[in-house]
Amino acid sequence: MENILEVKNLQVSFKTFFGEVEAVRNISFTVGKKETVAIVGESGCGKSVTASSIMQLLPMPPAFYKGGQILFKGEDIVKKTEKEMQQIRGSKISMVFQDPMTSLNPTMKIGKQIVEGLIKHQKLSKKEAHKKAIEMLKLVAVPQPEKRVNQYPHEFSGGMRQRVMIALAMVANPELLIADEPTTALDVTVQAQILDLMKDLQDKLNMSIILITHDLGVVADMSDKVIVMYAGQIVEQGNVNDIFKNPMHPYTIKLLASVPRLNMKRDESLHYIEGTPPDLYIPPKGCAFFDRCDHAMKVCKDYMPDPEYHTQEHYSRCWLNHPLAKDVRREGSVE
Amino acid sequence: MTELTREMFERASEEQRNAEKIRRPSIKYWPDVWRRLKQNKLAMVGLTLIILITIMAIIGPMISGYTYYEQDYSNINVKPNSEFWFGTDELGRDLFTRTWYGARYSLLIGILAAAIDFTIGILYGGIAGVSSRRVDSIMMRIAEVIYSIPYLLVVILMSVVFSSQGSGTSLFVIILAMTITDWVPMAILVRGQVLQLKEAEYSLASESLGADQGWILRKHIIPNTLGPILVNVTLTIPRAIFAEATLGFLGLGLQAPKSSLGTLANDGLAGMAVGLTYQIIFPALLISLIMFSFNVLGDGLRDALDPRLRK
Amino acid sequence: MAEPILSARNIKKYFNVSGGTLKAVDGISFDIYKGETLGLVGESGCGKTTAGRTIIRLYEPTGGELFFEGQDIYKIPRHSMKPVRRNIQMIFQDPYASLNPRMTVEEIIAEPLEIHGIYKSEKQRRERVYELLQLVGLNEEHALRFPHEFSGGQRQRIGVARSLALNPKFIVCDEPISALDVSIQAQVVNLLKNLQTQMGLTYLFIAHDLSMVRYISDRVGVMYLGMMMELSKSEELYDHPIHPYTQALLSAIPIPDPEIQRSRKRIILEGDVPSPIDPGPGCRFADRCFYAIDECRKVTPEFKEVRPEHFVACHRSGEILAGTAAMTK
Repeated sequence: MENILEVKNLQVSFKTFFGEVEAVRNISFTVGKKETVAIVGESGCGKSVTASSIMQLLPMPPAFYKGGQILFKGEDIVKKTEKEMQQIRGSKISMVFQDPMTSLNPTMKIGKQIVEGLIKHQKLSKKEAHKKAIEMLKLVAVPQPEKRVNQYPHEFSGGMRQRVMIALAMVANPELLIADEPTTALDVTVQAQILDLMKDLQDKLNMSIILITHDLGVVADMSDKVIVMYAGQIVEQGNVNDIFKNPMHPYTIKLLASVPRLNMKRDESLHYIEGTPPDLYIPPKGCAFFDRCDHAMKVCKDYMPDPEYHTQEHYSRCWLNHPLAKDVRREGSVE
Repeated sequence: MTELTREMFERASEEQRNAEKIRRPSIKYWPDVWRRLKQNKLAMVGLTLIILITIMAIIGPMISGYTYYEQDYSNINVKPNSEFWFGTDELGRDLFTRTWYGARYSLLIGILAAAIDFTIGILYGGIAGVSSRRVDSIMMRIAEVIYSIPYLLVVILMSVVFSSQGSGTSLFVIILAMTITDWVPMAILVRGQVLQLKEAEYSLASESLGADQGWILRKHIIPNTLGPILVNVTLTIPRAIFAEATLGFLGLGLQAPKSSLGTLANDGLAGMAVGLTYQIIFPALLISLIMFSFNVLGDGLRDALDPRLRK
Repeated sequence: MAEPILSARNIKKYFNVSGGTLKAVDGISFDIYKGETLGLVGESGCGKTTAGRTIIRLYEPTGGELFFEGQDIYKIPRHSMKPVRRNIQMIFQDPYASLNPRMTVEEIIAEPLEIHGIYKSEKQRRERVYELLQLVGLNEEHALRFPHEFSGGQRQRIGVARSLALNPKFIVCDEPISALDVSIQAQVVNLLKNLQTQMGLTYLFIAHDLSMVRYISDRVGVMYLGMMMELSKSEELYDHPIHPYTQALLSAIPIPDPEIQRSRKRIILEGDVPSPIDPGPGCRFADRCFYAIDECRKVTPEFKEVRPEHFVACHRSGEILAGTAAMTK
């Protein structure tokens, strides 16, 4: 599969008045054509910053690219100017955000917002653009598109607004869609609709998707590849079956265990992870999960483990993978 | 790459792990506001000027060696020199002393007026905010009517009603006249804040705990409105000082020989016509500086308090 | 069966808005027994948060009766509610908005103690605050910090500590975990469960995450547009959902297992939730329901017991139970 996006050793930090906060600490991954890559993690793990940095949408300052490359079809985005980015945004790479109310202009009719995008990226005439806008609303299953194209954002429900956001993102047939928690703010029945829509569009337009979410059900539904982030780093990565059937990193295991299943027994104890993720103002030297890990070992505090490959695509970064750990663990019976 | 030993793979103890630790230094509200204010150079200039002017207002009259009322007919209308640093007026009084004496009054009036506005405003606005919609409506209509009365008219009426000995008006009357209508913007501000914060989830939480409206107002709403109130106060002071200066300028100010910056400016006006411009320059300049300083400080405060502009 | 600790009868809450009357809660009834957790689920606009707030009388009810330990608390004059509030508490949804940003954690947790004058000395009050902090998994060093210095999960735990200060009997948990990450949700839910056993608490647990609600609740009620559609024991609801809305809701929850999730047969609802302003006659779910018949649009179905302790408001519940109901969409 050819790779449409390659992130290599990306580092992104923020300058704050009390020091540097390292939000993204050396991550690498690829996105193939028509592939859906899910990035999961808790708030503050760096997934949204990663997504925004691919689009160069972070305010710089206080954010800055500390190191690494983001190769979109071979060209490094990190090096691009704002003007060059404007050519890419919306046309080659599009983004859909969590809260559609703040991403849509409340004083502009929906139709006008889509038309503007069409005129800019596809160089259509106003009349053609208006027609196309109605088609796009149809594409995202907004009922009565001829009527609704003249309405304002506040006249739409949350789910409908998200559809409009998706329509706006599709305006130029992007090759890559970045969806940052697109359904988190929506009801579960609406979420089902939107996810179906995205899958449908991906099929029709041969689009790749990066899906940022903390909902493991959504990940199981949509993704091909899963990246698990914690405290700015990738702790595990693999295809969706690997991750769900054979998770290797303690964080991934606990994350999966803390999601209640519909078929669980009620007196089963719900696993949870004590404590909270570390503050990246003073990033830990070793494994960031040390404070909260049941299997924490002395080495974990001071040294960061290298990735260990379990299959060709599936790796995790954990000292438990190390042969010495297996010996010690077998003796101590930690499980 | 360091050598990895077996013992490094032993379990880490509980003490080594501290899952709930907060690493960042604690940021309290007002110190953070102060820090942000310090970043604003203009606001700092304003603050410095205010401090300097206040100091001078206190010690100025004391260090000059003259009093504000001493008349010296041998030294009428003297231009500023080493003896009379700001010159003298037509009655031979030292203008340096009179100017700083006047500054005292102006500042005093400004602060008093602001304090009264603040008190009445919070009480009135607070009560209107927590009351039923009807009571609130009535209270607001009353406030609007009061505010629409031109205060100059009020001052004149007051000075006629309360006049004691001829020209000039007493301090009491001036302050009364200014504050009688000036508290309204503050009340409206407070009321608006109260209405908004009444619906805040922590107010609701407090109510669910059993608190009554008074408690919620005191403990939750007012402390959270202090920011905008402070800005308003900082901007009320120069307004009050200017208002008093206008009064003085129109001849309705303090009784002679007491002086305020406004009355001095008025006195100096006559002098300007005959080329004694120094007599008006100093008070006018001082009025301008005070107003400028409070205004930039108030603006800076407003920015420092705005959570969206946080750096 | 023992007497319920709380009985809600025909609770109504209407709001006057510019378009008409917004019937946020339009006649719901249920009982809650001591020591149990009743879950209340539904999507946005169903009225569950309004219901929660009306039940503890944070909002004045438009109609209905609420019996707490035998007494109708709606009949008490509002200003005499204070002693009642010691027994009925609430945990709020938004951990960022429900704590006053200007108060320290200690002040926040001590507030209920101060309002009711529980302790005379400040020292005793502080001891109690430390005790409560420990209960929720925090400690003394957090007492002097401000809410913004904590994570969402920690703030929510502070909210829990505050609600426990007065040793209440009944707590309404209004979407206490919706704003939190999944792993933290589990933390808070486990905490709530443990505290319930420890302190003999009764909960009304309002949420939209069905999996989590199922886990913590003994019985679950499903709301749609201000009315109760179904109510039963939680296993029963999830294993044998009768109401078409409940079925659609359960079908929409993505299961964190790629094989199962991708091979499921799903019910995808069309369209949006209609407006709760001046709703028409008939079942509220009629225009989106796959089983709707004419009667559904004309007559509001009765909320009745169709299986032991299993209540449904649906004209076709009998047919659905028997498996003979044909879809009309």
